[in-house]
Amino acid sequence: MASLFQRRRSKATQTERVRERRHEGFLRYANFRWAKISGGLCLLIIVSYALIDVTPRPSGGTWYGYTLGTIGALLILWLTALGYRKRKMTSDYWSLKAWTSAHVYLGLSLIVIGTWHTGFQLGWNVHTLAWVLMMLVILSGLYGVTVYATLPAALSNNRDEMTQMQMLEAIRAFDRQLHAAAQPLTPEDTAPVLAALDEDPFAGGIMARLSGRYPRCATAAALGALRVSRSSGAEAREKVVGLLSQKEAALARLRQHLRIRALLEVWLYVHVPLTFALIAALSAHIISVFFYW
Amino acid sequence: MSFILRRISTTKTGKQIIRDQALPGDTITLGRDAGNIIHIADLAVNPQHAAITSADGRHVRVAASEGLGFDFNGRTVDAADIDSAAGAELRFGGHRLTIAREGDDIILLVERIDELSQSSKDVDEAKAFSLAGVMPGKRMGAWTFGIIVLLAFLIGPIWAWHSFRNVDERPQGYHADMAWSSGPLSSAHANLKGDCQACHVEPFVAVTDKACVGCHTGEHKAMSMAHANAPTAMLLAARHPPGVGERILAGFAKTFNRPQGRCVDCHTEHEGAGPMPATPQKFCADCHDGMKARLIDAGFKPTVADAADFGTLHPEFRPWVHAAPGAKPIRALGKAPLDYNGLKFPHDIHLSATGGVARMAASFRGRYDFGNKLECENCHRPESDGVRMKPVEMERDCAMCHSLAFETVGGVTRTLRHGEPDQVVADLFAYYRSTPPTRPLQLGGMERRRPGAYAEGQVYNIYFREVAVRPNRAEDAVRAVFSKGGACYDCHTIFAPASGNRWRVQKVVQSPRFLSKGWFDHADPGHAKVECATCHTEAPQSKRSEQLLVPGLAPCRTCHVGENGATIAKVKEPTRSSCAMCHEYHSDGGKPWMPERERKKKVAMVTDRPPREVYAVTAITGPARRHLYDVTWRTPVLGFARQGG
Repeated sequence: MASLFQRRRSKATQTERVRERRHEGFLRYANFRWAKISGGLCLLIIVSYALIDVTPRPSGGTWYGYTLGTIGALLILWLTALGYRKRKMTSDYWSLKAWTSAHVYLGLSLIVIGTWHTGFQLGWNVHTLAWVLMMLVILSGLYGVTVYATLPAALSNNRDEMTQMQMLEAIRAFDRQLHAAAQPLTPEDTAPVLAALDEDPFAGGIMARLSGRYPRCATAAALGALRVSRSSGAEAREKVVGLLSQKEAALARLRQHLRIRALLEVWLYVHVPLTFALIAALSAHIISVFFYW
Repeated sequence: MSFILRRISTTKTGKQIIRDQALPGDTITLGRDAGNIIHIADLAVNPQHAAITSADGRHVRVAASEGLGFDFNGRTVDAADIDSAAGAELRFGGHRLTIAREGDDIILLVERIDELSQSSKDVDEAKAFSLAGVMPGKRMGAWTFGIIVLLAFLIGPIWAWHSFRNVDERPQGYHADMAWSSGPLSSAHANLKGDCQACHVEPFVAVTDKACVGCHTGEHKAMSMAHANAPTAMLLAARHPPGVGERILAGFAKTFNRPQGRCVDCHTEHEGAGPMPATPQKFCADCHDGMKARLIDAGFKPTVADAADFGTLHPEFRPWVHAAPGAKPIRALGKAPLDYNGLKFPHDIHLSATGGVARMAASFRGRYDFGNKLECENCHRPESDGVRMKPVEMERDCAMCHSLAFETVGGVTRTLRHGEPDQVVADLFAYYRSTPPTRPLQLGGMERRRPGAYAEGQVYNIYFREVAVRPNRAEDAVRAVFSKGGACYDCHTIFAPASGNRWRVQKVVQSPRFLSKGWFDHADPGHAKVECATCHTEAPQSKRSEQLLVPGLAPCRTCHVGENGATIAKVKEPTRSSCAMCHEYHSDGGKPWMPERERKKKVAMVTDRPPREVYAVTAITGPARRHLYDVTWRTPVLGFARQGG
């Protein structure tokens, strides 16, 4: 018996190795197994909804509505469990990849389960609030899947085989050089250079991170000021200008890196808090139904 | 006395190396420029920033030479006098100059205290490069949103319920548990929208009938008579055997404390504003489809035929009829039933476009609302609500043509008393006793006479003989009235007396409602727009009044189809008809549900805002008579009510 399990286990490990070699992501995991299961579930629901004639009219309060609602609520709780599951990695049965694949596709099927559960009756109430939160969570997740599929390439291109600390280190090096090179400059020329040195490369709020636009960038301002300034010696100034433009390029790379990372991460700041808001709304929704039975 | 510049450098292991260097001269210059005695490579320091002098070898004066000052004890100053024994800390840009005294020497310690640049500062890589640095934490967001939702949509509503637990009626305004409403209430219950507890009395207890009858006192019987009088065993036997799904549902209903058979099973709420939706056909068909066989199997005698869907399975109507003259009304069986109502009335003659009746009607065109011939509505008048027809009344509906006049006194026509044969006899006797025969002109009468004295004696004799026998003529007149050709005999069945004058007339019985279980509304717009003969097809050919002209199922089915559109034959403009359109369950005499598309029309009239003119009138007349004008905008509704609602 033990050997039987042993064999099956080693087979699973081998399959996993093949997958690793093929670089199979969570989207195409096991040849879209969960996409097929989820699609079949959606189709089943849509067809049965059309065929089953519930009275007086389709709503969450019919037997069909309760069935879909129960499936949906359990599914939401299971989907939330990914946050717990991802902290406990295993590689064979129910690997995190398998779990994530199921999370994505079953999560998408919730659009059909949840919406068809409503019987297309929406209003200004806690029930529709739960539906709206669910849809927002799903849409943010959909965004997340999309950026996970598209942005890592851009991130890698921008990195140019540097680590992010190396990017920062480059800026630090330019700062040191700038500091040394700016020593001969007159006070009016050193002020913008000082401001450039004083600039935090991680400054800027969420909007600057997402847009990648920093209109009050001190380095760019210093570059502009020194190019037109005539107060210091031309040689020293040109050296500083050269260093400033190099720093600007390094800063741009870092900022682009931060932007892509922000785009990759921002959906989680919607997905996770709204999931808990959804679970709260879902609890209120279910309790309210039984409370005013 | 001399100035000593002290530099401290830190090795990688953290060990400090102190180097002292005696500075020449009494005036020490300090600045970014390399020519200074103390050279500080700091961009925030001016090329010639300050001069440090000491007159007595103890007190030190530091004076800034250019515009930029320095920080001394937290303030920016241009010059400072310092007792080196007490010591001081000065700040030039990112550097700190500490002045101290060791023996006779004044120690100047210069250190960089600020980072060279912002980017040089240490960063937490995980935080700085991710959004964690600029966004509030996900965990905090999750807690915040979760708690807000729970407070607003769970704790709040339960609190609202708790605080009004023992209150009869909640005050107007918003209550937190209104967020739990799954949909708008029907228009009848719209005023309860803030008062959830009006129906949902106890938590976790499904709405009970008690909540309904709290307001619906009396006007609704709990069940129809037929269902209420039936033994429970029979009602249970009538139900169709539950399928697997229904058994599961019943199990769930029991588990979750949701008993079946409550008012709300049929009268579902929160299904949207507007009138409450009609009870679906399924609630009736659950039992009535195939019920007959089930009842027979269970040993009961079925009294109604199976019905499942008006379009496909519905028994033929069984109107109330009097199967024989004077018989008690029974439900008709079979096709072409006869109803002996006691009258003689050939519909074909009266509705004919030609012949005496049509001619007479045409001659009365100015006096009555007749056309070139008689129409149904000339004799059959609708009830005030328009739903059904009033019983025909002789004086109102027949007497236009069928006059009972027998004498004119001073321009007033005297008529025989209808419905009272004894009075007719008495009136005729009185007439013959009290009036002489018409006096001939020869005897002073008013009639024209022939020229010459023509048979005067004869006339005299005839007249006075007539006067003598006139009272006896009454009997002949009475007989004539009640016999063939007489006024009564034309329409009524007469029972002649064996002797004397006790003439009797067959009692007329007109059914006020032939189809007592179903509801037919003559004033319904859909019905009113078609000719009577569209449904009462046999009326124009009917020769005998016994022939019942109440339409059967077939004319209805030319428009009405089943709830889901099921039909036997093709219908051009189908009206989907559930059971509840014609049948009412509670037998409270009210009107059953009407079809959806008409319901909408009327709702609009009730719920639409009143037109501006209504307020304009109110503005002129003032608010005192407000109620008078309040109703103006509802007139269309009342108009509908006049036609039958």
